[in-house]
Amino acid sequence: MTTTAHVILHDATLRDGQHSVGHRLDAGQLRAYAEAANAARVPLVEVGHGNGLGGSSLQIGQALLEDRAMIEAVRDVLTHSRLGVFVAPGWGTGHDIRDAVRAGADVVRVAAHCTLGDTTERHLALVRDLGAEAQAVLLMSHMADPGRLAEECARMVAFGAQAVGIMDSAGHYTMRDVTERIGTIAAAVDVPVIFHGHNNLALAVANSLAAVQAGASVIDACARGFGAGAGNTQLEALVPVLEREGHTTGVDLHAVLRAADTAEARLLENGAPTTDSAGIMSGLAGVFSAFRLPVLRAAAEAGVDPLAVFTELGRRGAVAGQEDLIPEVVRHLAKAAA
Amino acid sequence: MHPPPLRAAVIGPGLLGLDLAERLTRSSSLVCALVAGRHSSAGLRRAERLGCAVSTGGIDAVTGSGVDIVFDASSAAAHPRHRAELAAAGILLVDLTPAGDGTIAAPTVNGDVARSRLHLSLASCGAQAAAPVLAAAARHCTPHYVEVVTTAAAASVGPAGRRDLDEYIATTGAAVRQFTGAPRVKVLTSLSPALPALAFRVQATLLAADDDPDALREAVKTAAAVVRDSLVPGYRLADCAVTGGRITLTVDVSATGGRLPAYAGNVEIINASAVALAERHAAARTLRGTP
Repeated sequence: MTTTAHVILHDATLRDGQHSVGHRLDAGQLRAYAEAANAARVPLVEVGHGNGLGGSSLQIGQALLEDRAMIEAVRDVLTHSRLGVFVAPGWGTGHDIRDAVRAGADVVRVAAHCTLGDTTERHLALVRDLGAEAQAVLLMSHMADPGRLAEECARMVAFGAQAVGIMDSAGHYTMRDVTERIGTIAAAVDVPVIFHGHNNLALAVANSLAAVQAGASVIDACARGFGAGAGNTQLEALVPVLEREGHTTGVDLHAVLRAADTAEARLLENGAPTTDSAGIMSGLAGVFSAFRLPVLRAAAEAGVDPLAVFTELGRRGAVAGQEDLIPEVVRHLAKAAA
Repeated sequence: MHPPPLRAAVIGPGLLGLDLAERLTRSSSLVCALVAGRHSSAGLRRAERLGCAVSTGGIDAVTGSGVDIVFDASSAAAHPRHRAELAAAGILLVDLTPAGDGTIAAPTVNGDVARSRLHLSLASCGAQAAAPVLAAAARHCTPHYVEVVTTAAAASVGPAGRRDLDEYIATTGAAVRQFTGAPRVKVLTSLSPALPALAFRVQATLLAADDDPDALREAVKTAAAVVRDSLVPGYRLADCAVTGGRITLTVDVSATGGRLPAYAGNVEIINASAVALAERHAAARTLRGTP
């Protein structure tokens, strides 16, 4: 196991955070935070709909701005930070990737569910052809074992990914889970390994540190943890934690604290994400973090227990993109209770 | 007295192609004359065990085989060449890839095009599942936006299908526009790693004006029953909700009969549709007396 001294922080505030405000961030909000993150020398700022390019839909939530408008809102203020976008084939397409790179995306993250790395082949090749940096991540990674995740990551490196890794999309992991998975992946690939945490069990910062100690060198984080469900790894807490553990990030602590204050003032319309009962149950059940708001809404309308909805969604193996299962599960539970 | 069956070839011995070959062995008006791949594979060996002639010669083996019908179950990228090679031959080409350059057909909606057209596109499994209920709904409202979300079990989608997600989205969208007349269409598709795998699921949402809720619900239920009774027994309308200009139609498709795993409803509906279209073509040819 080799741990790197330098950790690259990947700021997903303006992408994952969109889940908690219904994908309604406007250009002024995007720009204000991007400017503050850039001033803090955060290496990369990701922007977009919560589910990435092409995600705007009735199913997942309609964004206020088109993909291109979101990129354009932040492009010219990112003088230091690189601009990242996220795309999952099946939701976004090669056409969306071309548009995003043309509009100024420097890094394109191509995503697939945990065992479906082969769906990224053509899109990773396209990103490389366009001259942008290609990264690849596996979503809902708790649903596959470490060996399988490593195999999929190695496959995505062969497709052209210049960094690969996993998202704890459900916030299900404890540190042991992360150490085992990241360690297995890091041993299988020779490109930087990515970890993206969620805070359902209040372990996002601890899990991110465990990931670094197991060999990850690209860590996703969000100001005030602004992200889907119980939120992401809190950026301005992770920076000093990593520094105290002997890692460099290149991020200016005081400026990143100011950026987080800007996020709180400008972005967090529904307050900072918290690890509440719904979040804990969602994480334990292994449900996609961004199901939080639609589950709470549908459960309240039908008068059923939202915790039971998370449990049932987990039992059915619901994955990101299957928001249409939520009303069905709520109806099923309402009928059972009647 | 039955007329002699038409001879059919299948290109691509993958998940779709093998199940197609098996279906052809049960058809009274079609016979599986050839399964063609590009190299020796477990798929071709299985086709051989089904009693089909097989070849590693790809499209070249098909053009020389004297067949009446070709099912293309290869990939969107390979399809244009297959089309070009077969164009002049007077052969019916039924395309199961999402290349989408043929006449898009769904048997219970516009299946009669199989009588006259020689290049049919199934569009996608999602299009085949959504088309019957969408077309029925669109007769009782004026949709201005239609969104279709499909989720298939990972194990029911082979390597070509996984590479062709962009074409799947484009061609499913074209089918939805054709069957609803909606000016704006959005398609999302997910492959689920969940185990045990869930049945193929399609949800279509229409934003529409002038809807007649009672007539719409009735038409959608009837359309689903026609698919279930004539084509795919595991086709189930799970929900049909009409509220304030928003119409949500949810369909689950399971494979039945024990040959395919139950979750592979996507394979079942596109293959059953392809065979039904080819059978309709065969019936029309027999009537015209040009076998």
